[in-house]
Amino acid sequence: MNDARKNAVCLRVWGDNACFTRPEMKVERVSYDVMTPSAARGILEAILWKPAIRWQVTRIDVLKPIRWESVRRNEVETVVSTRNVTTAMSSGRGELGLYIEEARQQRAGLFLRDVDYLIHACFELTDKAGHEDNHIKFAQMFRRRAEKGQCFNQPYLGCREFSAAFEPVEQEEELPVPISESRDLGWMLYDLDHLKAEPRPYFFRAMMEQGTIRVPAWDSSEVMG
Amino acid sequence: MILQALSEYYQRKTREGSNELPPIGFEKKEIPFLIVLDEEGYFVDLEDTRTGKGKKKTGRIFIVPQGEKRTSGILPNLLWDTLDYVLGTVSAVKAERLEANKREKEQQRAKEKRAAFIQRIKDTFPEVGADKGIKAVLAFLEKGDFQSLYNHSLWDEINRSTGNLSFRLQNSTELICQRNAVRRAIAEWVTERKKQRQRCLVSGEVDTIARVHPPIRGVRGAQPSGADIVSFNRDAFTSYGKHQGINAPVGERVTFAYTTALNHLLRKGSRQRIQVGDASTVFWAAKDHPSEEQFVAWLDPDPDDPDRGTEAIRALYAAPKSGAKPIDEDDTPFYVLGLAPNAARIAVRFWYPGTVGEVARHIRQHFDDTHIIHAPQEPEFLPLFRLLKASALQGKVENVPPNLAGDFMKAILVGMPYPRTLLAAALRRVRAEHHITYPRVALIKAVLTRNARLFNHPQQEVNVALDLKNLNIGYRLGRLFAVLERVQNLALPNVEATIRDRFYSAASSTPRTAFPHLLKLKNYHLDKLEEGQIIWLEKLMGEIMDGIEYFPAHLSLDDQGRFTVGYYHQRQAFFNKKNLDN
Repeated sequence: MNDARKNAVCLRVWGDNACFTRPEMKVERVSYDVMTPSAARGILEAILWKPAIRWQVTRIDVLKPIRWESVRRNEVETVVSTRNVTTAMSSGRGELGLYIEEARQQRAGLFLRDVDYLIHACFELTDKAGHEDNHIKFAQMFRRRAEKGQCFNQPYLGCREFSAAFEPVEQEEELPVPISESRDLGWMLYDLDHLKAEPRPYFFRAMMEQGTIRVPAWDSSEVMG
Repeated sequence: MILQALSEYYQRKTREGSNELPPIGFEKKEIPFLIVLDEEGYFVDLEDTRTGKGKKKTGRIFIVPQGEKRTSGILPNLLWDTLDYVLGTVSAVKAERLEANKREKEQQRAKEKRAAFIQRIKDTFPEVGADKGIKAVLAFLEKGDFQSLYNHSLWDEINRSTGNLSFRLQNSTELICQRNAVRRAIAEWVTERKKQRQRCLVSGEVDTIARVHPPIRGVRGAQPSGADIVSFNRDAFTSYGKHQGINAPVGERVTFAYTTALNHLLRKGSRQRIQVGDASTVFWAAKDHPSEEQFVAWLDPDPDDPDRGTEAIRALYAAPKSGAKPIDEDDTPFYVLGLAPNAARIAVRFWYPGTVGEVARHIRQHFDDTHIIHAPQEPEFLPLFRLLKASALQGKVENVPPNLAGDFMKAILVGMPYPRTLLAAALRRVRAEHHITYPRVALIKAVLTRNARLFNHPQQEVNVALDLKNLNIGYRLGRLFAVLERVQNLALPNVEATIRDRFYSAASSTPRTAFPHLLKLKNYHLDKLEEGQIIWLEKLMGEIMDGIEYFPAHLSLDDQGRFTVGYYHQRQAFFNKKNLDN
């Protein structure tokens, strides 16, 4: 790999289906046209994450044409209430079960099908990094893990049920060619800021140029919350 | 993307100076009755805005301040509402439906509603004297003496209806809720609420976030009071402990724009919607474009005026030749949105952002693929619903499987293969009913032709009319079956159950079980015919069977489709021959 940026990695992910849910249509789900930066971050973190590093997605390449599929499924409609849990904890007994037969909702979804992406990312060291930590260490660690197929949890494409297959792409010249399509993707979810008391969503204007979406840095002025 | 395109449609319509869409904070509403007041707030007259006859009478549509989304609580609209809110009385129709003790309670509630109605006006206009219209309404309502109104000849009809009431000043044409003072107050109210300001995920601007979005009306099968695209009506749908609309920050302006635009596209009598199975489908272009009008004529022509549709499609074909402005190269963005009901919510069945040129090309391709020889009285271009009905039980649109219609529409727009389930469904109907109709065969032929082209098997393509060179086993057996039926028909013209009624499904799926028997039967039938006919028919059968060494045990789904097409082609050829003989 070109060693200009020793903390840069490149990961190819693909799967039969994907749903990068739009917040405004998260009930009757409709996916974004392409993978969001936060979904890409989730995949990278599933393979390697330590308190010492923070991932930054820089580019997403779309390798297969955008295709859609409409599916209807039954899902659970409620969550276990916090109040019931608190009461159960204080009294030492209580009913916390949730019965799917009594709490069902049919939900439709407009999902992506047959997706294939190339995630370009780098990472920074956080202030949790110790003396023995450096970029090369984590980059090598990531590569080893990705090559062996190791992960902390199965990486997924937007929703847990759409698991992702992955492989690292090492050589610059082996990079697969993205689709030749350009499109204004509108405002897209960048990520959530969990440091605030109430998690706050951040958005950016996503453009696909010749199958490539450039992802701005977290602290750039293009990312707005 | 969907909300963005809809909101742009609203902006565009407003920019073009169209008054079809109400300004922000307003909506269009049917107001059947108006109370006319003088400036002192005295009752002058009741006005009936309805037109039409009998039960079909409908009131005029006025632009009024946007109504509230009501559930069970008391929430008055501004300066227009139902009888109980405006006058504090329960209408006679409603009272009759209630039991005595509940009637009392409802009467009490009506009084509260009226108080809330007055309070809302006072809250919106703190300076009562500023506008003479507002002053008159308040004076009228606070006096609370409606005797002269009850004595009016129209009162009985109002009492028997459930429609809305509003106010008008004597000597003025506009409603009081349309006066400048009201417009100003609403504009301020929309911009000044600073509760939850956040970035809007559609426009990217900082705006007040809408907690609840106005309902979308007109999606067939959804609740008549309206349903939502953006809603979070169950706990499991929310995230990070956020409530309602805060889960998906959409600004008030965009919320208003997209719901108004969608309601406009879905309205009764809209020329920009078609029903595709269970999906209410709307479409629009990024700028004012004739294709917005033509799209309906292409796919779902008015049954009372089928020629218009045919004309529109002919124009679609002529376009590349006429050279005026080729529609194929028109890159105006064109959007198609299919919405399906799910009780209180609306799901997006399909979403297609394309260009006018692409849509035109793909629709033309669709008509090319469905084109097949047919009786002269049948329409040349089959409307979408006839094709869909042909694959459904009892020929009813309700029986089309939910996803199928949407997938079919998507396939047409994108130019992708038609759903395979469509072929299976059409063949199932053919086998069950033994009616090999024009729309069914057109559908089967379209699926086969399109698959053959897209998967690059030109030799498997199916022709428009009888193809003597098609050597596919399914196609040939279909033709043979048509000849055998013809033989029987000539020999025994009045037989009750023909071989089609008795053997079609067996012959088309498992030929080996049916054909040997049918060929034996044929010999008995031929005995009854004249020499000339026998020679002609035997020769024809010989040609078809040439090279067939044995009957296959099974036919694949595709070959069953070709069997049907072959049968249909051969039969059409007989009809045409008969026409020529005459």
